[in-house]
Amino acid sequence: MKQSKTASSRLDERLKQGSKTIFFWTLAWLICTALLAFGPKLIWNFNIPITLSVVALNIIAGIRMLWVNKQHLAQMDELQRKIHMNAMAVSLGLTMIFGSLYGLLEPAGLLDHTPNPGNILFVMGISYLVSVVLNNRKYS
Amino acid sequence: MKNRLKVLRAERDWTQADLAQALDVSRQTINAIEKGKFDPSLPLAFKVARLFQMPIESIFQEEP
Repeated sequence: MKQSKTASSRLDERLKQGSKTIFFWTLAWLICTALLAFGPKLIWNFNIPITLSVVALNIIAGIRMLWVNKQHLAQMDELQRKIHMNAMAVSLGLTMIFGSLYGLLEPAGLLDHTPNPGNILFVMGISYLVSVVLNNRKYS
Repeated sequence: MKNRLKVLRAERDWTQADLAQALDVSRQTINAIEKGKFDPSLPLAFKVARLFQMPIESIFQEEP
């Protein structure tokens, strides 16, 4: 079983390294998003070339974040991958249902302000997290 | 699908962690397979068969 210990640590190390890379690129994307949200008004006074550069950086960091997430998923073992794929399916479905519903609340007179699309991210994140926890419990 | 993973592992005095290490999967995966909550993929089933040096059908059986 000595050889096998190396194999297992390979899985653990792969996942640990993957998590670090995801953290790095998510942080980079978050910083770019924050810069884009507050920078034009507070830092560079709506300078168009700077704003366009930050938009480009945001897209690059976002695509890189997406790519490392995909790689991380591929490095998981098959049960972990199934758990995360299930969570993604649940998250996508709930986001679609509540996203469309949320958009209709204002025209229906149930909401007195314009719906903010950013709020949908919370539904997505929370439903993903809850689904991962529930699936982990199911298979433990 | 039924399997004899737990018996075969016990015969060799391996822990779930040992088997997980040998197959390059998590301990949770071994536990789920042993409890019949999760059916392994064909490549993983072949890997298990190779590790125990047994035919795949003597480890995994279809439930009627």
